[in-house]
Amino acid sequence: MSSPALLAAAGQVGEGFFHERSSESLPCQAKAGEVFCWDWARENIDRYGAPTLQHLEIVLLSVLIGFVVAFALALFAHRTRWLQPPLLAATGVLYTIPSIAFFFLLLPLTGFGRDTAIIVLAAYTLQIIYRNTILGLDNVPASVKDAARGMGYTPRQILWRVELPLAIPEIIAGLRVAVVSTIAIATLAVLISAGGLGTQIYGSGNLTFPTSIIIAAAIVILMALAFDLVLLSLQRLATPWRRAALR
Amino acid sequence: MSSPSPIASIGGAIEFIFASQESNVTGGKKVGGFDKSLELVVGHLEVTFLALGLALIVALPLGLYLGHRGRGELLAVGIGNAGRAIPELAVIALVATLIGVGMRNVAPVLALLGIAPIIVNAYVGVRQVDPAVVEAARGMGMGELNVIRKVELPLAVPTVMGGVRGAAIVIVATATIAPLAGVETLGDFILNRNVYGENGLLAGAILVALLALLLEGALALLQRRLTSDGLKLKTA
Amino acid sequence: MPTGEPASSQRSQTGASSVSFQEATKRYPGSERPAVDRLTLEVPAGDICVLVGPSGCGKTTAMRMVNRTVEISEGDVLVGGSSVRDREPARLRREIGYVIQQIGLFPHRTIAENIGAVPQLLGWKRDRIARRAAELLDLIGLDPELGDRYPSQLSGGQQQRVGVARALAADPLVMLMDEPFGAIDPINRERLQNEFLRLQAEIRKTVLFVTHDIDEAIKMGDRIAVMREGGRVEQYATPAELLMAPATEFVEDFVGADRALKRLALMRVADIDLWEAPLAHVGQASAELRAKLAGPGVEVPYPLLVDAERRPLGWLSERDLEGEIVPGRADSPLGPVLELDDVMRDALADLLQGEAQYAAVTDHQGRIAGVLSVEIISEFLKSPEARTDEHPAVERPHE
Repeated sequence: MSSPALLAAAGQVGEGFFHERSSESLPCQAKAGEVFCWDWARENIDRYGAPTLQHLEIVLLSVLIGFVVAFALALFAHRTRWLQPPLLAATGVLYTIPSIAFFFLLLPLTGFGRDTAIIVLAAYTLQIIYRNTILGLDNVPASVKDAARGMGYTPRQILWRVELPLAIPEIIAGLRVAVVSTIAIATLAVLISAGGLGTQIYGSGNLTFPTSIIIAAAIVILMALAFDLVLLSLQRLATPWRRAALR
Repeated sequence: MSSPSPIASIGGAIEFIFASQESNVTGGKKVGGFDKSLELVVGHLEVTFLALGLALIVALPLGLYLGHRGRGELLAVGIGNAGRAIPELAVIALVATLIGVGMRNVAPVLALLGIAPIIVNAYVGVRQVDPAVVEAARGMGMGELNVIRKVELPLAVPTVMGGVRGAAIVIVATATIAPLAGVETLGDFILNRNVYGENGLLAGAILVALLALLLEGALALLQRRLTSDGLKLKTA
Repeated sequence: MPTGEPASSQRSQTGASSVSFQEATKRYPGSERPAVDRLTLEVPAGDICVLVGPSGCGKTTAMRMVNRTVEISEGDVLVGGSSVRDREPARLRREIGYVIQQIGLFPHRTIAENIGAVPQLLGWKRDRIARRAAELLDLIGLDPELGDRYPSQLSGGQQQRVGVARALAADPLVMLMDEPFGAIDPINRERLQNEFLRLQAEIRKTVLFVTHDIDEAIKMGDRIAVMREGGRVEQYATPAELLMAPATEFVEDFVGADRALKRLALMRVADIDLWEAPLAHVGQASAELRAKLAGPGVEVPYPLLVDAERRPLGWLSERDLEGEIVPGRADSPLGPVLELDDVMRDALADLLQGEAQYAAVTDHQGRIAGVLSVEIISEFLKSPEARTDEHPAVERPHE
């Protein structure tokens, strides 16, 4: 199945890359069997600064846009129930299409660069945030809504003062998944010249080498972990009544 | 970078899929066409099913068992969360540069990516079965195996299938960049623009999207078939 | 046909309004018959009106028409003389207390915040709200420090009380209560009922109370409307009238065959003629007592030992009287001791439970007032006097 040309190309990439480098930055992987070069890592750690910032930028913008859109859609669908299945299906399609393919599908429309990446990544987050928001709102006990209505809350007051606060745990759960996934997928942004940590894995049309890849992957994973923890703490802070129940 | 109008591009892409054309990039050599497209689709499906199968064999029984016994929640959920954070590009790149190229190396690694959603959903799927129902079944005199087969599994189907579908999505997506590690999939069209041209690029993207949607649709249908009628009414 | 007095006072002095249903009708699309069919009912200000009936008779729907959580199809409902249809629903509801069976406290707000919810909607100042919340916590008998807890940290009975406090917070004109004590266990339910009645004696709100339990209706209501499907009122009367003169067979069946026993809930021990037992003081000559016992007109054949203040100490047996003087301690224990203020139904229950033939009855200072027995009660129920007796409807016996 595998064409010799491609195999050669893969092999060539590694070697060719090495041959182009000057001797002083020659990565240790030239020696067979070395997985991770600590020296190279220590010396070159600053080159990850800019890509990391780019990566963060893309992720934050995508999640922000995705959240705003999905949240608005969910509020809308919460009122108009018949919209829920079609919206779920629509956001589902956007989720199913692999981001890489999506990047290139948009190419004729928006071209290379950051904007395309952000649109695609935002679209990817829509389903999880939309679905979790709806779920959170649906889980509010009917008796609480009945009491609020009977006490004299207007529908808008019920939504913002009762339903949404109680839906926070589910909404943030969705946000966590969205953020973690987006941080990982944003590495692909390099394929449409949008920068990010992917540049350290597959820069300028060639794969880099293990140490570089591992560092980039490690930064991605750590970033994801950090955001996950921050959001989790945010959720705990925003829901003091749940902590009380566990006491 | 010249951008032809979107419609012209799609037209060109469709042409590419079905009829091999002369590419001005490779100096007159013919690229694309139906045979090549089919070859790559099959390659993509091959590695996807292989990886998905491997992931199912490893993760499904484990996840179901852990859920049934109620143990290892931290493990299952931890793996699930961690799995989402792993960048696919790095995984493929490491396979290519460290382990080796070809289906034999890539498929297991893709399977690893699929294990995360399957194991966490299998665990959760069994755990979320109403304990009262399980109690009732045991009380009726059902042995453990029957309880699993006749009660827990059927009730866990929607959640478990959700995990399988999630795994399929991530595997199909990662298979798209598998050409970087020497496996011929539709990603070939996308990643080797210099060979296949703009049309090839778009064609690849369209085919991948279609394949992913069709696979998802097929799995959704499978889920419907496997879900008992009673459950279907409830989750309608 | 519903009977009732015309709304004499629209608003009582304590800030309660009358409620008037005027041919109020509710139709749901798709149903042939209306859920509530031309209901006409007057509830005077300050009264508890209980809507009672089988499931699906429309009692809850009727109640909800008052605060428009169910919209009125035809006819009208007046609160304090003005139509509820003229008001904006949300504003109307802020003036009407609303208590539902599942309580519906906001899980994400503290108890104090829950209680202060409507005042906050009305724009009260923060310290005023805090003061009112503390006041109400005290009124419902809860520790003020519970104000900072969350609903999940309270028991069911406590939550239910907070539900009532929440409804009272903004000093509403009318209270709507839909099976408010339905989800509570019977012991706490009785306590909550008693507490609410005690509260009502102080604040005198107009209350529309929905229940399916006829015993609760008789206990709580100043006036009871027995309803059947379509919200049709079979009888609207005081509890005593309902028990003594059920208007239709439906009412009779619904009230139950044990009407007579139910009436005991309306009486106090003081309402009945008690028997007398020969009283014995410590150190009294036994011979005197024995003579009394042998004499005519003895209602209770056992002497009751009492102290200097005529407080009962125990029942004397034959053996106790064998000596020269009456001993300081009686052979038989006192058994159940009742008070004049006790509700007759509870007194009967105490008698039966104590397996005693006779129970000493004291006044509120503990001094002997008479002796009650099961026989007295059953004689009374059989007597013609019991059948035609009118009991004042306003006085509510409660613990």
